[in-house]
Amino acid sequence: MTNSNQTTARKPGVPAEQKPVPLALTARISTLASNQSTILIGVMVLLVVVFSVLEPKFFSALTASNILTDWGSVVLIAVGQTFVVISGGIDLSVGAVIGLSGVVSAWTMANVLKVDQTVSGSDASGPLLIGTLVSVGVGLLVGLTNAFLINKLRIVPFIATLSTMGAALGLSVIISSGQPIGSANNFDLIAAMDPKVNPLSWALIVVIVVVTIAGLFLHKARFGLYTYAIGSNTFAARGAGINVERHLTLVYALSGALAGLAGMYVYLRLGAGSPSSGTGRELDAIAAVVIGGASLMGGIGRIWGTVLGALILFTVQSGLIMVGVAPDWKKVVVAILIAAAVAAQTLQSKNGRK
Amino acid sequence: MTGEVIYEVKNVSKRYGSVVALDGASLKLHAGEVLGLVGDNGAGKSTLVKVLSGAHQPNGGKIYLDGVERTWGSPREALEAGVETLYQDSGLAPHLTVSQNVFLGREKTVKGIFGTMGFLARKEMEHDAHEDLERVGIAVPASDRPVSQLSGGQRQAVAIGRAVAWARRVIILDEPTNHLGARQAGEVLHVIKAAKAKGLGVIFISHTLPHVLEVTDRVVVLRLGKIVMDAPTSEFDGDRLIGVLTGTIQTVRVEGD
Repeated sequence: MTNSNQTTARKPGVPAEQKPVPLALTARISTLASNQSTILIGVMVLLVVVFSVLEPKFFSALTASNILTDWGSVVLIAVGQTFVVISGGIDLSVGAVIGLSGVVSAWTMANVLKVDQTVSGSDASGPLLIGTLVSVGVGLLVGLTNAFLINKLRIVPFIATLSTMGAALGLSVIISSGQPIGSANNFDLIAAMDPKVNPLSWALIVVIVVVTIAGLFLHKARFGLYTYAIGSNTFAARGAGINVERHLTLVYALSGALAGLAGMYVYLRLGAGSPSSGTGRELDAIAAVVIGGASLMGGIGRIWGTVLGALILFTVQSGLIMVGVAPDWKKVVVAILIAAAVAAQTLQSKNGRK
Repeated sequence: MTGEVIYEVKNVSKRYGSVVALDGASLKLHAGEVLGLVGDNGAGKSTLVKVLSGAHQPNGGKIYLDGVERTWGSPREALEAGVETLYQDSGLAPHLTVSQNVFLGREKTVKGIFGTMGFLARKEMEHDAHEDLERVGIAVPASDRPVSQLSGGQRQAVAIGRAVAWARRVIILDEPTNHLGARQAGEVLHVIKAAKAKGLGVIFISHTLPHVLEVTDRVVVLRLGKIVMDAPTSEFDGDRLIGVLTGTIQTVRVEGD
């Protein structure tokens, strides 16, 4: 037990003659060393160094831009997943939502707004904005469906979101007849997404702003506090007067809406809404969240960890390709990363309990 | 020593299907009084606690707070009316800090637009949590520490401190000294005395009879869903309490007023 080291222990009879400063300093250093984000930054630096040594071309603005552009789509759903995982749940539907929202959005733009190759420049802003709203709306709808299944029908999150995942995948194939929708490649805004043209595209900036706001609400506001409280001890949260069902509805709605936004992001990257554009992305999101230090048992997790986790994921993937490792190995390496992250977590919490 | 009646149940019953868990129980709680609620397993203690805390609605009978008849639709309603309940082993969220737990459900927000958006006044709550707990006699470590890092006794102290700090009229403590060592249990009993001194009505549910005898003013004994005895604590000793509890001593019901 570490109680004796507490500088704030208040025993009336004991004079406070021990100087707490050196203790606090060593404590601070050891906290820093075991701090999840320090470890993640360390891993990140190590990866960049190793890949740069193996392939000097890796260390370039273009690579960084490529990684960031890939990162943009997954970090959105990973942030939503962070809220869900902290609340003690899981959302498997987010990858499928990327496909569905992209397809519905593209379909709306092509068939309702009659956007085609002739539309370009600033004429495209209006349709793209409406497309974004449609995309986020579709995600929101799936999120609310998840919440309904979980809260009202009492289906465990894993199964509830597995079924909406299947439904979303199916619907996106039906709506698109299995083909990518959209011929909007002339949009200047889409051209601006090309990492070669623009290392920090406007869409990426939107992603960064959204992630920052989400982080503030998770760590500084009541919304985040309730998310942690529910994941930590639902009974206590209820006892404290928190409306658990209502809050979980908001959490799954947020995850869905962010997945919808990611759907639009992917649409902009591809210039089309494709039913398969998000396939497997939910696993990337879960990987990012877990590498970032969140616990699938709930109550633990940080946005900054997720952001770094996703960055590590894509750094590894792109680094492996650049040093000439066959792309098939990518999944194996990611699997090892996840296992290592979880093992590190378990060891850490064991040490903490000693 | 004790004030007016603040919380009262009259003739409450609760059935689960065909099982009668509570059969016409009545009790009165006065301000500044610690009432011990004891009974064997299955005697109806938990059911009575759930009725008192608003978690369950009784099938019959009436509940009065400050002389006004009330029905609780949820624990939240009872909480807002000033009735705090601490359930055994469930009070805190281990991943949250001491102050986050103390203020959970009643957070202080920053001023202005960010406050409306739910942004929290963390420093203020950490400071106030520490003061609130100290006021009821709990010396906890820094209030920015996660509860999971505290010992079992400290956790329980924080949970009780939280309930005492927030309770305005009545505090119901369900087995608060369970699983605690002697010294830690002593601290908990000390907090109960502080709550009493604050003028709160305290209902103390426990299997640990020495604790009941030490801290309560009056003891209500439940057996098979009925209240079989209601008398000042001074009329009991350990043997007599066990006798009444298990039914080896037959009692004529005594009104505790």
